[in-house]
Amino acid sequence: MEFVSTTLAALAEADLVLEVRAPVGRRRAIGALTVLLGLFIVVAFGFGSISGAHSQFTFTPVNTSSGAPWSLGALTVLTRWWNVALGLITVAIGAETWWRRPAGALARFGVGGIIFFFTLLLWAGRQPGPDQTSSINLTSVLIGSSAIAMVLIYGSLSGVLCERSGVVNIAIEGQFIGGALAGAMVDSVTNSFWLAALVGILIGGLIGWLLALLAVRYIADQIIIGVVIVTLLGAMSSYLNIQVLAPYPNLNVGNNPSNVAIPLLYKIPILGPVLFNQNMFFYAAIVLVALVSFGLFRTRWGLRVRSVGEHPKAAESVGINVARVRYTTVILGGAVAGLGGVAFIAVQGQFQPGITSGFGYIALAAMIFGKWKPSGAVVASILFGVSAYLVDALQSYSTPIPTELLQMFPYLITIAVVAGLIGRVRAPASDGVPYKRD
Amino acid sequence: MVHQHFMLVPVFTVAENVVLGFEPTKSFNRLDYKTADAQIHELSEKFGLQVDPRAVVENLPIGLQQRVEILKALSHDAELLILDEPTAVLTPQEIDALMEIMRSLARDGKSILFITHKLKEVRAVADVITIIRQGRVIDSVPPSETENQLAALMVGREVNLTVNKESTELGEPVLEIRDVVVRDDRGLAVVNGVTLDVHAGEIVALAGVQGNGQTELAEAISGLRPIESGTITLRGRDITNHSPRAILDAGLGHVPEDRQRDGLVLSMSVADNLVLNTPRRAPFASRGTRNLKAVSVNATDLVQRFDIRTTGIDATAGSLSGGNQQKVIVARELSRPLTCLLASQPTRGLDVGSIEYVHRQIVNERNQGMGVFIISSELDEVVALGDRIAVMHAGKITGIVDPSTSREDIGLLMAGSTMGAHD
Repeated sequence: MEFVSTTLAALAEADLVLEVRAPVGRRRAIGALTVLLGLFIVVAFGFGSISGAHSQFTFTPVNTSSGAPWSLGALTVLTRWWNVALGLITVAIGAETWWRRPAGALARFGVGGIIFFFTLLLWAGRQPGPDQTSSINLTSVLIGSSAIAMVLIYGSLSGVLCERSGVVNIAIEGQFIGGALAGAMVDSVTNSFWLAALVGILIGGLIGWLLALLAVRYIADQIIIGVVIVTLLGAMSSYLNIQVLAPYPNLNVGNNPSNVAIPLLYKIPILGPVLFNQNMFFYAAIVLVALVSFGLFRTRWGLRVRSVGEHPKAAESVGINVARVRYTTVILGGAVAGLGGVAFIAVQGQFQPGITSGFGYIALAAMIFGKWKPSGAVVASILFGVSAYLVDALQSYSTPIPTELLQMFPYLITIAVVAGLIGRVRAPASDGVPYKRD
Repeated sequence: MVHQHFMLVPVFTVAENVVLGFEPTKSFNRLDYKTADAQIHELSEKFGLQVDPRAVVENLPIGLQQRVEILKALSHDAELLILDEPTAVLTPQEIDALMEIMRSLARDGKSILFITHKLKEVRAVADVITIIRQGRVIDSVPPSETENQLAALMVGREVNLTVNKESTELGEPVLEIRDVVVRDDRGLAVVNGVTLDVHAGEIVALAGVQGNGQTELAEAISGLRPIESGTITLRGRDITNHSPRAILDAGLGHVPEDRQRDGLVLSMSVADNLVLNTPRRAPFASRGTRNLKAVSVNATDLVQRFDIRTTGIDATAGSLSGGNQQKVIVARELSRPLTCLLASQPTRGLDVGSIEYVHRQIVNERNQGMGVFIISSELDEVVALGDRIAVMHAGKITGIVDPSTSREDIGLLMAGSTMGAHD
């Protein structure tokens, strides 16, 4: 057995040499980029504001009906030095990324991006003297971001489920549309978001079943059928909007579900209203993350799903029914995205064609950004959600960059992530590869 | 059943792979890793196959991965173990270890069906040898039969298993590889500073276990993969990072490793495949229009000269047997003046008769003063053909030895040791 250990040692050594050299360049580049971003913040938003300019934060939620007992006063700060400090923090994050090349390099860049938008907001909202007429409500920023992040979490969880089993679900956008439309109508008629959620789950599952039927049974190209399903749902929702929703406005009243405050916790300043005084869809998203994570990585079901996504032939060789596993996981994933569509309506109110505005694709990018893990998808969804909200908030200010251009930002990042421009992470080995028994 | 291509999920642990499909669980369907580990320890003890249940399979050397495959089969209480070409990916030492495992399993009362094309191995381990040709059982013989007798049964005629080579004059270096570094698709430097010369009139054979950078080196030489640093020259001319077309035109013949993927267009005819590397060149085309007459004359000639068995020159390449597909590639590459021939795994998957034929062609070219660079993971082939044998491990040349070197020493070099004999 001596030669076996010799071989092992030699291979281990070779592995080590190769491993250390591999993804270093990418992480360095991301670190350098973050440093540049930080320097830009220091120069443009820091020293770019006159020395006497101030910006103001407030912390009390706009909607005070929840009665947060902690009322924090406004905080007025010197715009220049706050932005210089935040820019330097970004530089430090970038330098650390450059120096240590951590696995979480991308997430660090994401934090840099959020600081970028935040400082831009501070800069845009500055006023020449210490007397302030407008302010940035930090709690509102977080609540608004959490709404976008929640929708993205549903979408990216759906993506994680499907792709872990080896089917690319580009139809998330379509499942959003289907869930949103059905959810709006059911809620308008029954005035119950519980029923709306149920119907959304069914509609999403149905679209998932269609995807599985074409992808698994008829071995069609998953990308193409996914895009076709999105197009189909988009066109169908426009048609129904004109033919049904417009003439019968009581089918699209645009309710919002009431918030459920969690006793005591909701009183925590800032975090309380954001995390513990939300609607049921927000809590359901958190429970789903835990469930999917547990299911995929702790249970027999999850092991089988992942084996099918990695090496379907190996799975088949031990008696696992590859087609059935893919069917069930894709239907489940569709149901999750369908529920996400209803969550969309819960946030937005009325249904309108194009309401999902590509969030299904951004969710897909969040899934890749999060390395096909539920926990990673959550982090990515939060990063995307916060930056999307900040960009949105900038609309009410005059900025030197047209906000229309800034609003393209999430989609540009999506293209970069999906195209693998900022470092390819490893997808399940058989992701998107149809399995044919021979 | 232990498959030729492992049925293991690379990112799973040993335990997860072994129990997949038969997982022990706790409440809520949770996986019971403790029980799984215990099962594997028990099997390891029982059959003497040590492996760490928590190791991730892709980090294990191929030999150990195979052990996991065997454990997986045994965990299902298999009485009959089918091993399909299990030795293709192993070093000679790992093959010895596998043979030992097979013998001990047989002693424990298991039956083993060992499918291989390596005559040495069947004779070393089998109790009964059954020969199959074209889907029919030809004969069953005892292992006392000689290799030549076995080969004759496999092919249906007498075969000369030894390659006859007369010594030739060593000429100028034709292919010079200097400190070449090449990365694979994942960005790993899998060729890490290789320096090697091939002279006119010699065959240099590159030995090594699959996956140690040979494939990427061949792709780099033929222009299919960018070279990060280092140079490659062909008869003094720099061809580093030139386009594949420029490199072919400079006089490199290339027999790629995967003939069906990289060597042929399976849906095109034999005739078209025979001019695949010179389709725009006179006489096969002029002013952008193909000269089909010349193409078919060329095809008829080559089919005859290289004894390609096909229903006609218009038959698709995909309809040919593996051996004849390889002949099409060899014919195409050798039908034009070459400085150097690069042949990767030139006889992989071929029957003994075709192997003999391809080997004869390669030796012919070398006798006529061409430099030949063979890349092969078959040690038998390397020893039979090579005038010099270079051994590659983990992206580096671990030694350049004479073909008379013992298999054990070459095996050690293949496993990464540089203590073996050097000439």
